Amino acid sequence: MENNEHIPCVELKKLVKRFPETVAVENVSLKVKQGEVFSLLGPSGCGKTTTLRIIAGLETADEGEVLIDGQVVNKIPPYRRNCNLVFQNLALFPHMTVEENIAYGLERRKTPKTEIKEKIGKMLDLMHLAGMEKRYPAQISGGQKQRIALARSLVLEPKILLLDEPLASLDRKIRKELQVELRRIQKELGITFFYVTHDQRVALAISDTIAVMRAGRLEQIAPPDEIYDTPRTKFIADFMGATNIFSGRAALKGDREVRLESDEGLVIFAFNHKNIPVEKITGISVHPERIHVLAGDSKSRADNSFKGKIVEMVYQGDFVETKILLLNVENSRSIIVHLNTKLSQKSQFSIGKVVLVQWDKENSNILQD
Amino acid sequence: MANGRVRKFLTKKLNLSAFPVVGPISIWILLFVLMPLAVIFIISFLGRDIKGSIVPSFSLDNYRLLFSEGSEYAKSILRSILFAFATNAACLIIGYPMAYWIVKYGGKIKPFLLLLVIVPSWSCYVVRIYALKQLIGYPGIINNFLLNIGLVSSPIEILYTPHAVILGLIYIWLPFMVLPIYASLEGIDPSLLEASVDLGATPAERFLTITLPLSKGGIFGGTILTFIPAFGDWIVPLLLGGNKVWMAGTYIAHYFIVMGDLPLGSSMTVFLTTAIVLMIYICIKLGGEQAIERIL
Amino acid sequence: MRSPKKGKILFIIIVVGYLFLWGPIIVLGFFSFSSDSYGTRWLSFTTKWYGELFQTSALMDAVVRSLIIASVTVVAATAIGTLAGYGLYKYKFLGRRILRTSILLPITVPYIVMAGALLVYFTRVIHIPLGYPAIIIAHISFSAPLAVFITLGRMQRIDWSLEEASTDLGANRLTTWRLITIPLLLPAIFSSAVLIFPWSFNDFTITYFVAGVGTSTLPLYLFSMLQYSLKPVLINGISLIFILLPTIGILVVSSLQRETKKTR
Repeated sequence: MENNEHIPCVELKKLVKRFPETVAVENVSLKVKQGEVFSLLGPSGCGKTTTLRIIAGLETADEGEVLIDGQVVNKIPPYRRNCNLVFQNLALFPHMTVEENIAYGLERRKTPKTEIKEKIGKMLDLMHLAGMEKRYPAQISGGQKQRIALARSLVLEPKILLLDEPLASLDRKIRKELQVELRRIQKELGITFFYVTHDQRVALAISDTIAVMRAGRLEQIAPPDEIYDTPRTKFIADFMGATNIFSGRAALKGDREVRLESDEGLVIFAFNHKNIPVEKITGISVHPERIHVLAGDSKSRADNSFKGKIVEMVYQGDFVETKILLLNVENSRSIIVHLNTKLSQKSQFSIGKVVLVQWDKENSNILQD
Repeated sequence: MANGRVRKFLTKKLNLSAFPVVGPISIWILLFVLMPLAVIFIISFLGRDIKGSIVPSFSLDNYRLLFSEGSEYAKSILRSILFAFATNAACLIIGYPMAYWIVKYGGKIKPFLLLLVIVPSWSCYVVRIYALKQLIGYPGIINNFLLNIGLVSSPIEILYTPHAVILGLIYIWLPFMVLPIYASLEGIDPSLLEASVDLGATPAERFLTITLPLSKGGIFGGTILTFIPAFGDWIVPLLLGGNKVWMAGTYIAHYFIVMGDLPLGSSMTVFLTTAIVLMIYICIKLGGEQAIERIL
Repeated sequence: MRSPKKGKILFIIIVVGYLFLWGPIIVLGFFSFSSDSYGTRWLSFTTKWYGELFQTSALMDAVVRSLIIASVTVVAATAIGTLAGYGLYKYKFLGRRILRTSILLPITVPYIVMAGALLVYFTRVIHIPLGYPAIIIAHISFSAPLAVFITLGRMQRIDWSLEEASTDLGANRLTTWRLITIPLLLPAIFSSAVLIFPWSFNDFTITYFVAGVGTSTLPLYLFSMLQYSLKPVLINGISLIFILLPTIGILVVSSLQRETKKTR
């Protein structure tokens, strides 16, 4: 095989899909690299599943092109495309055993019986499912069904595996196990994954690249850490759990610094890593865990320090989600911080106490819309 | 100790609190379904005199008579089985595509298309048989028309042939095949069909490996609903078959109503029921629990 | 992807199927307006057969008898059947499976079997007079099971925590039934009634066996007419009326159902 590392595994060019009432996908372009896990992240109804179904060939695009391995596949029927789909509800055939389910695709390709047997054996080993061959889907657990759905698609050795939130229905513990499992299998087989989800934690945990989608459009495509630390828009910041978002008017201060006067009248400083032009800046976001909480009487001359009163504390195990109402501000603005559990046990950090919140300007993320 | 066990039996096992709701039907079914069936079962093993009256002594004569050489009843049983199979097969061949088409292309008017299938079955069935008779008999609409335009010189004989009886049975019982198949097709999760295509199945393969096996319950449910009534039908052969092609049911009616011969009528009925129970058993074995669910 | 040819074959089967189901009825109705007394030949347009029909008092008597029987059957069978469906779903008790199977019996064995058995039973064992009592008892035996299974089907889709919530909020068993359970079961009760009424109205075999003399329901009357009438065309007219009536009825009922769904 020639070196085709530089050819994207999947490429979407200006994809558009309209439904009678709405536009589901609006001008979506993206590239998925060979061998990576690419997540399409967004709230339900944002068009992510439609995008996935267009790649699989189960829906046809109204405009734009779908390329798999550099070839336009718009007109190729799903059963001839070299990509497979793991359905949200898994879609295991209820009238077939585990073995028959996995063999289904191979039989359609007229693979010899002995080869099928061998491949199924390998797959079941890989999935830690040996001994389940003769069971029916109704007789196995949720996590096992998951693996079988995965095996059924992977046994065909597709160029790309499309996954439509297959973990959504599982409980937290099994979901976490399977995330790790998924990553291991993907690394082992080197197959490209295209993963659609509405759960930002899953996306952060398994992806090499995340694309955030909103109302049919892509808002940002970047590696997980970048999406988390420097979300580009208010929507993404909110979606990624940066609950502290300030809108306001920005001005440049010096070379690399931004001074934002928020709608509530706060003055917030931020470090402009990406040299975003000031007229495009519409706000600033801060993750709750990046904010320090100091005793109310401490003196701080650092940037971004504000006085506030603790009004709510919700225990979360490793931290306490604390709501602090800022003092001397209009419109009763509050900030959410993650307070260290140890600290939260001290008397100066209890409900009703006045505290000082502060964060570094490097932790202020600049938002544009 | 024993007292506690009795109380436990009464409250837990027998659960008397259920009696107000299931009591009425239990009594009703016992009195007006099980008892009557038991009575004819017993009568079928009683003797009869020449006039067909009951003689209170155990005897297998009725059954011996039914299957004696050249017995018309024995022939009619075979005929019933044959006709019922033919009806069933034809209903399946017409009914499956109808149900499939309604589910696949029915869109918003699915309920209406289904109603169009059901409505005829909700009108008096004697009238429907008569409609068919008017159409195929002589003087009949088709024959009058063909004679008028000179396509045939003498009326074609359809009425009072086995074909007419089978046609009538299909006509009457077809809707009962469409309904359960429709229900089972409608119940198939569309993502299963997509999954099969995604895994490389062509449309034909998808139908054979997914749709057909998953509608098995509907097929056997429909078979129960068409085979059994066709097997036991007696009006269709009477009206469309004339005197020539009586089915088992026609004999039963004849013996009960016209001859008043209860022992013989009872033994015919018992035999017919046994055959039916066997058939249902086979259908459930082949079609699974689903077959039963689909007909309810 | 979809081959148009296969679609065409399928479509032809559908058209043939619908024609087969409706053709005879429509043609029959058409010829009811012909002045030919056999109703099989088009002579000239007339509505005189309909006039004659409405003056036949025996026919009207038969319709009234059928209506009475169907009404009594609907009320009794729906009540018994709905209760039983509820009980079979909600309670575990000794003999539950046997009861379920027994309820299935009347709707799975051929009519002729039950009809014969009931005739013998009524005349020789418990001496119930043939006619109204026998017909109604027989009809209830057949239609109550229908109501049971319709109710059972509906029960599976009901959120039963509502009933628990009601008792939790202090309602006793009867109040809960009145305020929660019956409203939840209304759709099932409604469908049962809609299914049972035309069944009872149209039943031929069972009624024929247990009607005795003088209780000729509409189907029985039609049957005798069919065999002895000198003017078969009259039956054409009746057929049209009795195909049209249930059709209209069903359309009205189903549109009503859709309305109530919308308002909810």
